[in-house]
Amino acid sequence: MQSMFPNENRWQRFIRGLLYGRDVDRAVKAKARLGLAIVIFAAVYTVIAVRLVMFATFSDGHNGRRSVGQDAIATARPDILDRNGEILATDVKSPSLFAEPRKLIDVDEAVELLTATLPDLDANEVRERLSSKRGFVWLKRELTPEQQRQVFHLGIPGVGFLPENKRVYPNGPTISHTLGHVNIDNQGIAGIEKWLDGQGLAALHMAGLAADRLQKPVELAVDLRVQFALRDELVKARDKFKSKASAGLVLDVNTGEIVAMVSEPDYDPNNPREANDPTRINRLTTGVFEMGSTFKVFTVAMGLDSGRMNLNTTFDGRQSLRYGRFTIHDDHPMNRMLTIPEIFTYSSNIGAARMALSLGPEYHRAFLKKMGQLDRLRTEIPESAEPIVPKRWGELNTVTISFGHGLSVAPLQAVMGIAATMNGGLLIPPTFLKRSREDALKVATQVLKPETSQKMRYLMRLNAEKGTGTKANVQGYYIGGKTGTAEKVINGRYAKNKLLTDFMAVLPADKPRYLVMIMLDEPQGLPETHGFATAGWNAGPVAGKVIARIAPLLDIAPRFDLPKADQLILASGSGNR
Amino acid sequence: MRLLNILVIAALILAASYVYKIKFDSTLQAERLAKVRNEIRKEQDAIARLRAEWAKLETPSRIQSLAERHLTLKPLHPTQFDNLDRLPEKPPQIVNPQSGDPIGAMLATPDTTGSVPAKR
Repeated sequence: MQSMFPNENRWQRFIRGLLYGRDVDRAVKAKARLGLAIVIFAAVYTVIAVRLVMFATFSDGHNGRRSVGQDAIATARPDILDRNGEILATDVKSPSLFAEPRKLIDVDEAVELLTATLPDLDANEVRERLSSKRGFVWLKRELTPEQQRQVFHLGIPGVGFLPENKRVYPNGPTISHTLGHVNIDNQGIAGIEKWLDGQGLAALHMAGLAADRLQKPVELAVDLRVQFALRDELVKARDKFKSKASAGLVLDVNTGEIVAMVSEPDYDPNNPREANDPTRINRLTTGVFEMGSTFKVFTVAMGLDSGRMNLNTTFDGRQSLRYGRFTIHDDHPMNRMLTIPEIFTYSSNIGAARMALSLGPEYHRAFLKKMGQLDRLRTEIPESAEPIVPKRWGELNTVTISFGHGLSVAPLQAVMGIAATMNGGLLIPPTFLKRSREDALKVATQVLKPETSQKMRYLMRLNAEKGTGTKANVQGYYIGGKTGTAEKVINGRYAKNKLLTDFMAVLPADKPRYLVMIMLDEPQGLPETHGFATAGWNAGPVAGKVIARIAPLLDIAPRFDLPKADQLILASGSGNR
Repeated sequence: MRLLNILVIAALILAASYVYKIKFDSTLQAERLAKVRNEIRKEQDAIARLRAEWAKLETPSRIQSLAERHLTLKPLHPTQFDNLDRLPEKPPQIVNPQSGDPIGAMLATPDTTGSVPAKR
């Protein structure tokens, strides 16, 4: 048999056996074909056997997975906690009612029964949805367990329930603007909730991977207790001074964490419809305001940091400052030469204007730019506003901006800048998330000399001891503060009787830890304030009340019998942390 | 040869029954697993619901309104804080044991009701 091709091996013989050739032995050919058939059949049966084994082993797991996937329909979101682990937002399962119109037998009967059980359903809308040819329609989202039971007992075929995640904010309006809220599909549409969606949560949902409770909770910098105390005092202040709005902020000056933020009137995130009311906007980030005399903090810091003046430099306060057709007056005219501490504590517009003018508009503009007052400040929450900066910055602009008119900034932005003058000269972008001192230093920029910051702390404390901020001075907490009163612009003119008052308080002034800002929109004069409506009479005392309440919560022990500012702060050398 | 056949058939039957048993057990186990998973999910949902409820109950605004209604406590004043090392030695006896528990007495006062302030 092998006579013809003695040198070929088995494989070559097999191949040759398959071919039709005259020279091929019939027996070899038959054997080769038989062999091929055996191989093919063996392969087919192996595939079948393997598939059987696979079905046997994996079928259960497959079923189980499908049922888990079903209740992740309404997107699960991570819990939001405050800095102490208190729940600010969480998901709760609640059933939603759906129908499969193709499986419905009698649409009219179904509509009748459903509208009888759930009176808030619109009959026409339900009929329209049930008559459609779609495979799946929602009828009502977020049923109560009682409603679910009733509908279940109706026994309508083609109607069923799916458990959905519902976002719950247990603290209601206490914390609203920071958190934001979600829509009916559990997608964030404002505040931190919106930011969460931007962090890849939305993409996870698209891929159907955001299953239940696998996600790590988000920890905010907010302290719920401080937030509540601040809001409580602001609500009281708004009632007392009959102001249009009140807002407040507590910032950790060393880390840039926003420990509390309230803009009142606010809304209940459980009822997001309220948020559309334009009076309920977050004035601290979405509103821009002329901050008034609190801007003198920047003017004085600029002067001291320039190296061209010191605390004993005097400026002419003998008469009003005429500039073009404008005249700048002081509220408490001294009519003499004023030192820098006097300009600060008497809140002298003339002095501040002369100080800024001596350095020039270009320097002023560059300084405020460095302090982050001229650019839009972005934080985690999407709401932010562009400051209104004069297009041409002349000497007149420098004059007015030196005491806080003619430049509108978001209050949060001003707080960030003033925190930099207090904490040793570090400009730290504020954050709503928990942040350590080390992380804060990574994003911080040194904008002022530490000595300047020390002098500014002295001035702030001095102002609370004997300046415009005395009514905010809470015994025991060694606070420093600066008032600000701005006339609001109504129809392009400054209105004498429509004021925006604010107060910046730093505590404790010798080693600052927190900056508290209080802002009142159009407060009214009261008999007990002798009819005055300036910041020293309303925003200042409110800040004092807030500090007395929140200082124990922030672990600040009261200290008594401390020396005056010039001994404790100025004499302590470079007392920086 | 026949013996071999019989042995093989016996082995086949044994193997088949053993495989059946394993399969049956695994199905049971899988069912139990699915059931326990389902229970875990239900428990997790219940925990989430209870935690939300708890957070709602301990929200500061609620605690404050309750405290204002039912307690005679006042906010802390800075002068009420002091250092532990400035604490004087414990005086011999502050509360006379016969006079009982002042907080308990306050709780037991019958004229303090939920919404009506106590008459004094």
